[in-house]
Amino acid sequence: MKSDIGMLKAIVGESDVSDELADLYVYSSDASVHQALPSVVVRPKTIEEVQQVMRYANGNRVPVIARGAGSGMSGHAVPIDGGIVLDMKRMNRILEIKPEDILCKVEVGVVNDELNRVLKPYGFFFPPTPSSGNICTIGGMIGTNASGNRAVKYGATRDSVLGLKVVLANGDLVKLGSNTRTDASGYQLARLMVGSEGTLGIVVEATLLLSPLPKYRAMGIANFDKLEDAGRAISDIISTGITPSMLELMDSVAITAVNRALNLGLPDVAAIVIFECDGMVKESVGHDIANIRKTCERHNGSGITVSDDPKEMARIYEGRKKLFPSLSRYGEGLVSTPLADDMAVPMSKIADCVQEIHKVAKRNNVIMSAYGHCGSGLIHTKIMMDPTKESQWEDAKRAVTEIYEYVYKIGGTTSGEHGIALSKAPSWKVEKKDSLEMMRAIKRALDPHNILNPHKLMDAPDDWTKATALRYNVRRG
Amino acid sequence: MGAGHLTRLEGEMNTCIRCAYCFEKCPVFNERGWDSDGARGKVILSYGLLTGQLKPSKYVADKMFRCTCCRDCIERCPSNVNVIDIVSSARADLVASGFAGETHKQVVENIKKTGNIYGDAEVVSPLKEGETPLFLGCQYLSRPNKTKKYIAILEKLGIHPEVQKEVCCGFPMEILGFKAEFESHKEKFSQFFPHKGAIALCPTCTVFLKEGYGLDAKHVLQVISEKIPEAKLGLKVTYHDPCDFSRGLKIIDEPRKILKKLGVEIVEMKDSKVQSACCGGGGGILMSDPSLSDRIAKNRIRQAIETGADTLITSCPTCEQVLKKAATDVGGSEGKNIAVRNIEDIIWMGVK
Ligand SMILES: Cc1cc2nc3c(=O)[nH]c(=O)nc-3n(C[C@H](O)[C@H](O)[C@H](O)COP(=O)(O)OP(=O)(O)OC[C@H]3O[C@@H](n4cnc5c(N)ncnc54)[C@H](O)[C@@H]3O)c2cc1C
Ligand code: SF4
Ligand code: SF4
Repeated sequence: MKSDIGMLKAIVGESDVSDELADLYVYSSDASVHQALPSVVVRPKTIEEVQQVMRYANGNRVPVIARGAGSGMSGHAVPIDGGIVLDMKRMNRILEIKPEDILCKVEVGVVNDELNRVLKPYGFFFPPTPSSGNICTIGGMIGTNASGNRAVKYGATRDSVLGLKVVLANGDLVKLGSNTRTDASGYQLARLMVGSEGTLGIVVEATLLLSPLPKYRAMGIANFDKLEDAGRAISDIISTGITPSMLELMDSVAITAVNRALNLGLPDVAAIVIFECDGMVKESVGHDIANIRKTCERHNGSGITVSDDPKEMARIYEGRKKLFPSLSRYGEGLVSTPLADDMAVPMSKIADCVQEIHKVAKRNNVIMSAYGHCGSGLIHTKIMMDPTKESQWEDAKRAVTEIYEYVYKIGGTTSGEHGIALSKAPSWKVEKKDSLEMMRAIKRALDPHNILNPHKLMDAPDDWTKATALRYNVRRG
Repeated sequence: MGAGHLTRLEGEMNTCIRCAYCFEKCPVFNERGWDSDGARGKVILSYGLLTGQLKPSKYVADKMFRCTCCRDCIERCPSNVNVIDIVSSARADLVASGFAGETHKQVVENIKKTGNIYGDAEVVSPLKEGETPLFLGCQYLSRPNKTKKYIAILEKLGIHPEVQKEVCCGFPMEILGFKAEFESHKEKFSQFFPHKGAIALCPTCTVFLKEGYGLDAKHVLQVISEKIPEAKLGLKVTYHDPCDFSRGLKIIDEPRKILKKLGVEIVEMKDSKVQSACCGGGGGILMSDPSLSDRIAKNRIRQAIETGADTLITSCPTCEQVLKKAATDVGGSEGKNIAVRNIEDIIWMGVK
């Protein structure tokens, strides 16, 4: 590899290639628990540069791992076999905004919130709203099929991707999908790329479907003394046919954590439900909010407050967005780890699942929070543990396995939002056992030399704690 | 391995969930673009130094010293990670391993020899009897006209400051990683400045008198804002919040109140108040990487020009210095001009 650094420098320029250990070390991890050193970091600026890097890598059988902000939570951008980390953040031009076609065309290094800032004056937005939108790239969102608290109304990234330009493993550039809202024929290859975690090609450009910015928005919070009441309220709200733009659950652990870290002043109750409705007609938003309020009351929700004050809504929204990181301040010596962190379950099973999560945590000497975009059936959990103790990793491993066994038993799925990569792969492979061979066949067809983010998803190791080194300084005991 | 300054911060570094939220407005990351240049990168590099996975080296030191200590990352971090504590401790370990920059070493030597960062024994305080201890700090010591102006303003407002011979607060030693030198300087400082409280002229000194010495320090603008009379200056300006002001001391309203009372209209920049974009002058990069400092300062000047105001006001002498240079450079290369002035000039216009 060393001797080829010169070749890579010739492609992208001297200052955009590094094999300095310090850089490799920083690029060896993302927001997950994993860590593995790449051999080199390359920062392309153009499609041609990406093509040349891929031709080189394919010819020399060198792994290539596309990377955006490195905010993936399951080891997505961690180069398990070394190789080239392709930092895509320099490809960050917004190429076209076409309000008349309700779409835009961007390079993949564009950051989600920056795109929305530019779209705002046009009266549109790119609707997937990951909490990490302030830093995550469109490429990373496509890689993981990211979504967020507004997915309940607006869907995930896949629902807003019309077309893609992708550099394949052999360096060929292909156009997938279309520029139109409907595209019925043939295999949906653009959609296949979304969520493929960098294993099938390097996405370089995306044509994205936009949504008009709603004119009105209101938000409410309801308190619940019993978690199961909150769960029932959520599934009832959805089944009445209302489509809130946000329907979030926070359990008591999550409430304590945000209050501690962010001073949000949320009430000390078993659970809160945060709901939001948006639209073009004020009365219609008000009508939906009133209905949600009634539903919460029916399920013993109390202290319900509603606001359409943008400042107050932003305060709550920002607090919610920072929930995962703030869990790291839950207790002295405990950190928040993204393990088994985004399962989706049938609506009717939300409350049961949240309760089971707490039971599993207790059994396994860890603390777990439960919160999430429950309006989409999505539950977020984080395991709070002492990451320096080896025994805690064993505890966490058991907890992860037990939680997923339960999730599958009630008809749920491994990941509703963040993707699989390494940490979730062992359980996911059990869940998806009937699809694994088909996925491997697709991977072989598009990447015969297995150079694109290898050993992730269906090819990931069976023990996530040993898939790579853990990024913490773990001691025995 | 260094001198173990990072050891106590292992838990703090584990608390960092590596979310990258601190990328968003890190001025160094925005200019250089490598993950290793941002706040998260610095936390990871520090972790590597702590665990021994990284050895101290010039390359690591260059990365670690490219930080303006603007506190933007701390403000944004949802896990409340004290990135600057981590960075300054990593710097201390690197310095202990022999990776101090020559310009930084010189500053520390200067403080040791002469009591000020310039190494100039001629730089002395304008001694003055009074009631309230006033701490000037090196930047104001070396700008006697500005200092006199502030003293005159205070006198006009009925506050009688006392100025004694002083030595540097020692912040440069602490932030540049010379922790041992700072520990011995601390005693010297306390001999020269034995007070429990003070008014200070420089935002950075004010923060450090509070955080480093536990003094009840107030910035001069906090005092002035309570007594400022009305005037009708009729100016239209944009105001640059120095990092140590809006994020360090959380002083956001006071300078605005002063300007408003003096009849000055403020047009806010895109990034202002607690989200103020850095001027590029802090953290030692002005000495170790002036070209990076210049680029960051020019970005800020461009934001100021976008407001349409013809003057940028700031309240920190370092910001003033780097932004003035950047304004001249941007004026020359891009043909767009803006004047840069310190707030004491405007206050003086209003009260004299
Ligand atoms: C605090 C926090 C909150 C989060 N909240 C959410 C949330 O609400 N919703 C959500 O969905 N996720 C969330 N995430 C997870 C993560 O932010 C998202 O998955 C995000 O979309 C990743 O973007 P990134 O730019 O960081 O990508 P990276 O982490 O760098 O990469 C992610 C994956 O995409 C692949 N990839 C990146 N660029 C390309 C490309 N150009 N071509 C092909 N593959 C590519 C990578 O190889 C990798 O497999 C959160 C993460 C954190 C730390
Ligand atoms: S320092 Fe804070 S904001 Fe930055 S990566 Fe760590 S946790 Fe996130
Ligand atoms: S203090 Fe400022 S320059 Fe330093 S890492 Fe934080 S945001 Fe970047």
